[in-house]
Amino acid sequence: MPDHTKNGMQCNEFDLLLTDFMDEVLTGAALDRFQAHARTCSACGPLLAEAQAGRNWLKGLTEVEPPASLVNNILASTTGVDTQRLRTPAASHQPKVSWWEQVQASFLEPFWGMVRQPRFAMSFGMAFFALSVGLTVAGVKPADLKEISLRPSAIRHTYYNTQAKLVRYFDNSRRVLELQAAIRVVKRNMTPPAEPGKKQKNRNNNDTSQQPEQKQERNYSQSGEQLIMASAQLGPSLRDLPVVTVTTYRRFV
Amino acid sequence: MEDVQVVAMLVRRCIAGDAAAWEEIVQTYNRRIYNICYRFAGSSDDAQDLTQEVFIKMYRTLSSYDSSKGAFVTWVTTITRNLLVDHFRKTKQDRMTDSMDTTASDHEDAQPLSEQIPDQSAPPDTHVRQREVSETVHQALGKLSPELREAVILRDLQDMDYKEIASVLRVPEGTVKSRINRGRAELARLLQRTYRQVM
Repeated sequence: MPDHTKNGMQCNEFDLLLTDFMDEVLTGAALDRFQAHARTCSACGPLLAEAQAGRNWLKGLTEVEPPASLVNNILASTTGVDTQRLRTPAASHQPKVSWWEQVQASFLEPFWGMVRQPRFAMSFGMAFFALSVGLTVAGVKPADLKEISLRPSAIRHTYYNTQAKLVRYFDNSRRVLELQAAIRVVKRNMTPPAEPGKKQKNRNNNDTSQQPEQKQERNYSQSGEQLIMASAQLGPSLRDLPVVTVTTYRRFV
Repeated sequence: MEDVQVVAMLVRRCIAGDAAAWEEIVQTYNRRIYNICYRFAGSSDDAQDLTQEVFIKMYRTLSSYDSSKGAFVTWVTTITRNLLVDHFRKTKQDRMTDSMDTTASDHEDAQPLSEQIPDQSAPPDTHVRQREVSETVHQALGKLSPELREAVILRDLQDMDYKEIASVLRVPEGTVKSRINRGRAELARLLQRTYRQVM
């Protein structure tokens, strides 16, 4: 905006007073000077007219109605935000939840929901069948399960008992093996030694399983020097005939 | 005008975890925020998304509101304005590629601005014509620069005083007044040009 002074008012001052004029709070001498400047200034006069016109256009704009679902959407979108925030201070007033209820809520309920789906029913049926058969074979009785205590002290006691049983089992096994080895030594000492040559001969004759297979000549000739292409059992008349050696040559085309 | 004590109590209840207080705040301010967003962003869908974002941000930062620093409505409007500025920056590239004739309104068929000017010689229905004029002004408002647009919206559509607007926009009152004047004048020029094309 040009900084001209007309009627004792600069254009910058006019611009600042324009809103006051339009809000009808400009009075007295200031109003007179303002109006006089608007009449004479080529820039501020049109500005006043345009500003008034613009405000009149804007007055025609009414408030639009928000969509009916907006409030619900806002509350829904902030629910995710507030649940965590709102629960935090209230958590101290809630009754204490047992570990079993926590397990039930976080693990068992979702698991049970999945198990109830028809597509998993057959798989879980087969798994249960296999488990029950396995337990029956292993000698586990359902009645024994009742006696199982899940208290930490009982679990610890069971763990140490099982460990002691295992240690005893392997200890006893070692002793049995040592005893068996000792008996074997005693037996060997009591048995008289057999004749080594005879034993070796017998072994050579009968037992060939430990020896490597002897290499055999797998050609169909009796010796490497004679080449007999064909032979037949000779009758008495044919014995006198000379042996004819026939050599064939294959012609390669 | 909002009752400062009532609003302060409402905010305190909300911070304490009272869901009903939060719902009351949403019911009270959703219309105002939606209208600011709609007039600034131009489309109903954007306005809905932005309004939700405003309330989410508001709820997360509700404890930071200090009633001694200003009215609650000013605080709410400041949050709204900040999100609108962010939205404007994000969608700047999209707007640059848009055709000048493309309309963003949801309430009218997609037509160029010049084609939406009603035939003044034979108005079929006053109500329909009024709606069309409103739509045209809304379109023209969207063509103002964001600085002028936000000043005009807060003053002429939300009836905020200059001090509150200055607080929201973080500019001096003189700048606010100047922007309002220029915004109104620019809007009138745009509409005059549009009508002249039709005539």
